[in-house]
Amino acid sequence: MILSVRDLRVSFRTNDGLVRAIDGVSFDLEESEILGVVGESGSGKTVSLLAVMGLITDPNATIEGSIRYKGRELVGLPARELRRLRGNEIAMIFQDPMTALTPVYTIGWQIAEQIRAHRNISKSKAMERVEELLAEVNFPNPHEAMSRYPHQLSGGMRQRAVIAMALSCNPALLVADEPTTALDVTVQAGILDLVRKLRATHKSAVVFITHDMGVVSELADRVMVMYAGRVVERGSRAELFSDPRHPYTRALLGSIPPLTGEKPRRLPAIPGSPPSLLRLPQGCAFGPRCPVHYEPCEAGKPDLGSGTHAAACFRVAQA
Amino acid sequence: MIDKNRPILETRSLGRRFSIGSRFSAEGKRTVHAVDNVSLTVWRGETVGLVGESGCGKSTLARCLVRLYDISDGELLFEGNDITSKSLSELRPLRRRLQMVFQDPSASLNPRRRVGDLVAEPLRIHGRLSSSEITKRVAELFDLVGLLPDHVMRFPHEFSGGQRQRVGIARAIALNPDLVVLDEPVSALDVSVQAQIVNLLADLQEKLNLTYIFIAHDLSVVRQVSTRIAVMYLGSIVEEGPAEEVFAAPAHPYSQALISAVPVVETTPGGTRKRIILTGDVPSPLNPPTGCRFHPRCPIAAERCRSERPQLREYRPGRKVACHFPTM
Repeated sequence: MILSVRDLRVSFRTNDGLVRAIDGVSFDLEESEILGVVGESGSGKTVSLLAVMGLITDPNATIEGSIRYKGRELVGLPARELRRLRGNEIAMIFQDPMTALTPVYTIGWQIAEQIRAHRNISKSKAMERVEELLAEVNFPNPHEAMSRYPHQLSGGMRQRAVIAMALSCNPALLVADEPTTALDVTVQAGILDLVRKLRATHKSAVVFITHDMGVVSELADRVMVMYAGRVVERGSRAELFSDPRHPYTRALLGSIPPLTGEKPRRLPAIPGSPPSLLRLPQGCAFGPRCPVHYEPCEAGKPDLGSGTHAAACFRVAQA
Repeated sequence: MIDKNRPILETRSLGRRFSIGSRFSAEGKRTVHAVDNVSLTVWRGETVGLVGESGCGKSTLARCLVRLYDISDGELLFEGNDITSKSLSELRPLRRRLQMVFQDPSASLNPRRRVGDLVAEPLRIHGRLSSSEITKRVAELFDLVGLLPDHVMRFPHEFSGGQRQRVGIARAIALNPDLVVLDEPVSALDVSVQAQIVNLLADLQEKLNLTYIFIAHDLSVVRQVSTRIAVMYLGSIVEEGPAEEVFAAPAHPYSQALISAVPVVETTPGGTRKRIILTGDVPSPLNPPTGCRFHPRCPIAAERCRSERPQLREYRPGRKVACHFPTM
């Protein structure tokens, strides 16, 4: 087991009240497994992974629950210890590669610095490794690319450079937060291919955050659907896409226009919009938008329960 | 109702050049052909979808079509009248008939004004309505786009992204336009809200007999909305045809790669879609390749493609491709 998260709760004190960004999230991740986390803005998908990375430093934040990496508790770990893990055993890539790159140094320099921060090797050895890494992430001319500055690269190439940086220390866990959202589909296809290949060669476990159901269905082994800070459904890719159970998952899949076949005259849209975390509805947060909503939904929050394929819904539990 | 006898908008070899750099920079002054030799006819009542990778010139073309950008080459005709070089004051009466909706509604809504006021603005500028008539029209517009009557007193920040886009749409349709150019109108929205806006646009088109030019990078959304699509690459149209046909059987190798790259939800494991992964990046429009501009990335490029640039040709009625070896 690489990662085991139990009953994670993250809340932020704000002027307008307490924001419960994550409200009881649990999941496990095995070696070389890809977990897809799907959700809309405010669903808590990013915050939960920032918590795993120990990157929530806001003094107004409270983090409760347990995050175990290879059996070791990360919640409450001193910053120095966390820094030793981050970038080394646990790596992260973000939506905008420029958040991870500085414009004033070359790509080669930046990746080499990352390696030397965690490994005791010479500069020239590090540079050799950088060239290997850039070749691995399919830079057509890795040697030349090392002397490039980020602004000289296209968006797709920058994201590849960041992936090379993330892989530089052979991480056991790679967290990717919407890494392809800002990219064109043609470039995205290449990056997804790369993630699949790296999982095979590096045996890294990957948590892949996205809002795109299509991306998840192409990449993930297991899927977790989040809504308003809670996991509403989880299951293997096959289970989730051939037998979606939670009304939110079903509605979300239904509202995607098809790429082939008959065009529906109207798309089956979900009414309303995702709730504000400051004013969550009573009971199930999806209740007000749910087509099969009934009285028990207002009384309490449904639990996800156990089992590989589970949905947090009273209707599903009843059936 | 699509009326094939009446083109509402027509471009003839339209081009837009930008010059960048200065004579003091290392490379000197250079010219980018952001839009190059585009001839496109838009019929009344239809939706033309423009697709292509970022930097292909689709947004520049859209802005040329409503004359937000000046046109460098070619002609632009609105209902048969040449408006290529009309002055701003001459364009003014046309503005009400040609409207635009942008990607980020919060960027086009003044945060310090109430949304009712924002929707009334075009009415005040163009209309000859009294203030009570304006209030009535605003209420009507709010109803049309699915906002509640008491929303008029709110400020933009009090709305969700989807509602803000509804306000943007209300502003665009306030003057009963004929043509609306929508530049990525749903890209900034949550997935669950996108479908609502797509449906709203379809309803409005039917009710108000609008013509749309729709730009989005999400190809499945474009297919849903469009009757016809034009695929752009490096400033030019490489394929044009009825949306469903082009998606089912793209003829240009670039369209094939683009459409095959869209990730789709496979309910049956081990789906049969074959993916074409393009190598390399989109070349810089500053220094476009010779011959067919797609040839350095094209899986079927031949000698001829390196030297001779293929023209957009009509292979079948309504189906145009710019390729020496189209799959047809």
